[in-house]
Amino acid sequence: MSRLIKNELIKIFKKKTIYITMLLVFLLIIFMNIIIKASSNSYSSAYMYSESYMNSLKEELSELNPENPSDITLYINLKSEIELNELMYKYKDSEWKLSVINERIAPYITEKNNYMYGESKDENQVTKINNKIDELMTKINDDDWEYFAKEDLENANKTIEDLNFKKSQTVDSEVLKSLNSEIENAKIDKEIASLRLEKKIPYGSDYLNTAIMTYKSSSSTIIEYDNVENRELEYEEQKQYNKALENREESKYIIQTGIDVNKIDSLKFILQNFYSQFGIFLIVVIIMIAGTIVSEEFNKGTIKLLLVKPYTRNKILASKFITTLIIIAFVIITTIIMQILAGGILFGFDSLNLPVIAYNFNTNVLQEINIFAYLGMQTLMQLPMIILLATLAFAISTIFSNSAIAITISLLGYMSSAIINQLIIGYNISFMKYFVTMNWDLSQYLFGSLPNMQGMNMLMSIITCIIYLAIMLIPTFIIFKKRNIKNI
Amino acid sequence: MVHGKTTTIKLILGLQNITSGTVVINGYNIEKDFTNAIKKVGAIVENPDMYMYLSGYDNLKLVANLYENISDERILEVVKLVKLENRIKDKVSKYSLGMRQRLGIAQAILHKPNLLILDEPTNGLDPEGIKEMRELLITLAKKEKMGILISSHNLAELDNFCNKVCIIKNGMIIETSEISKIKKETNKDIEIFEVDDVNLAKKVIGEIEVIDSNKFKLNISKEKVPDIINDLVNNGIKIYEVKQEVNTLEDAFFEKTGGNVIE
Repeated sequence: MSRLIKNELIKIFKKKTIYITMLLVFLLIIFMNIIIKASSNSYSSAYMYSESYMNSLKEELSELNPENPSDITLYINLKSEIELNELMYKYKDSEWKLSVINERIAPYITEKNNYMYGESKDENQVTKINNKIDELMTKINDDDWEYFAKEDLENANKTIEDLNFKKSQTVDSEVLKSLNSEIENAKIDKEIASLRLEKKIPYGSDYLNTAIMTYKSSSSTIIEYDNVENRELEYEEQKQYNKALENREESKYIIQTGIDVNKIDSLKFILQNFYSQFGIFLIVVIIMIAGTIVSEEFNKGTIKLLLVKPYTRNKILASKFITTLIIIAFVIITTIIMQILAGGILFGFDSLNLPVIAYNFNTNVLQEINIFAYLGMQTLMQLPMIILLATLAFAISTIFSNSAIAITISLLGYMSSAIINQLIIGYNISFMKYFVTMNWDLSQYLFGSLPNMQGMNMLMSIITCIIYLAIMLIPTFIIFKKRNIKNI
Repeated sequence: MVHGKTTTIKLILGLQNITSGTVVINGYNIEKDFTNAIKKVGAIVENPDMYMYLSGYDNLKLVANLYENISDERILEVVKLVKLENRIKDKVSKYSLGMRQRLGIAQAILHKPNLLILDEPTNGLDPEGIKEMRELLITLAKKEKMGILISSHNLAELDNFCNKVCIIKNGMIIETSEISKIKKETNKDIEIFEVDDVNLAKKVIGEIEVIDSNKFKLNISKEKVPDIINDLVNNGIKIYEVKQEVNTLEDAFFEKTGGNVIE
């Protein structure tokens, strides 16, 4: 048997096809990495100032008459926008300043213009607001972002106090409930403001601020679900709850350690998402080989050479199947090495020292995992899918001696699996939880997360996959054994 | 052989399912004990299909890997035997049909089988190739002590180097025996005489089959030839040649099959 497998490997590796295909895959991987690099470079939150846009605003403004009542609202809006843009242009080099101007000063500008041109003109108010703007601008000019964070903290404290006061005044349970969730949200604002000050995170749109935003939104999702009473959460709601929990813990980790674990243009992050980004490449190559390993021998007539050797047909077919499994391992390892090379050269290898973080729902703690351990784990979890797809191509090509049909059907199966799963989950068709595409990706069970559908578990998925494997392989072996070798 | 040559070979080699009867090779039933039955068999079925993208040597190496104890020396020995030593490192896709046929024989005899099964080994070969093939097969039979089973519709070829034939008509074996025996059986003892005057000879001997003005046929046994010669000479007829009409395998074949070749 080992002699047969050795020969099968020789046949595959002496062919140019595999090298050309792997070279193509390498080029595609390099190409994808370059795209990732280019997109991260071009992504910039820096303020985009457009002269022509400003001119068109000014032109529109000049056509309006602030004395005319029907023009007033639009006049005020345009005027405010022009002033804001001019102000932002001045500070276009500082992210936190832009962010503060946009969020804190913009409302004052609009308010000021309302008093200047609106129906209730008030010189006093205008002066007052101008003073306030000047005061804030001084802080901006002093580079004092902490002033704004402290202000956030004070506001949050004040809100909490107010809400607590309101709480003491009411007895209505509905109102109490909504007040409680408002207080919890305010507490999160407070927590964020103090974290900002503690970790010295200026405003802006970098990964730390993204993490802060995620922390805030996922926390409020959790508060929302925590306040659901009188009923159990739906399965999909539980999934969203878990997702929010994971996001909250992950962003908290980012804020506290300052490590950008989700940096898109890093080798670690690409490897972390290897199968979702590059899975298609390795699956195409694997299906191509699995779908030709038997049928090509039939088409070229060389099967007769093999069948008159002192080995049973079962052994011959089994050796080809085992060879396919070896090829799967080879393709996976080679593509990962290719990605490490391409990504390492473009983004550097440093990110490989960073951990992958994952929230473990079994123990409710955030785990730090070495990237290679994580990748190995993912590979193991994706193996059922890869093996089943390869087996499908192998079976069809053996039964029908037609590589094209085998490759096409298997690829279609892979590409449509996501949609099929979405439909099954979306319509909650519970008996379909035994369908192959629902079970072949075991990564759904990693870290105790909720599987695709209620009632699924890892053991069940593994058994389901083995049954599908047997359903494909048994007829293939029987047909191959019984087959008459016709004139070729 | 007429119909079902390749099918018969495929049945013998276990490539097709046997519906009735049994195939026994070296004492093993091909259906029940395939691996033992096929162990000492080498074969080319239909065309010598080899892996075109591999060199001749790699192709042989693949075959050698599947048997125990086939050394590299044995491969080289076989390569020399089929006279491919100059081209063995070339890709098979660059080989001529004759070279492929020889490579096919090389892969079939690598493990020193005692039965070599060849399906139309001279098909598509030029006269020189046919001659080389014939010499090669005779060498194999004599030196390597191999039994060789050849299927062919080229009767002249078979006549040249086979010693036993089996005639299949419409899927049925109608004759299995030594070529010489078949020929003898169908031999009708016809002697051809070449003389100066056929008409005179006719008067002397009586019943003759006239071929042309100088030749006639006579259906007599060998022992009677000297008497006829005596009679002719005594009557002043000049004899230039007397020869026995040689019966070919083809004649025997038509005799056996009744001439109805293809149905």
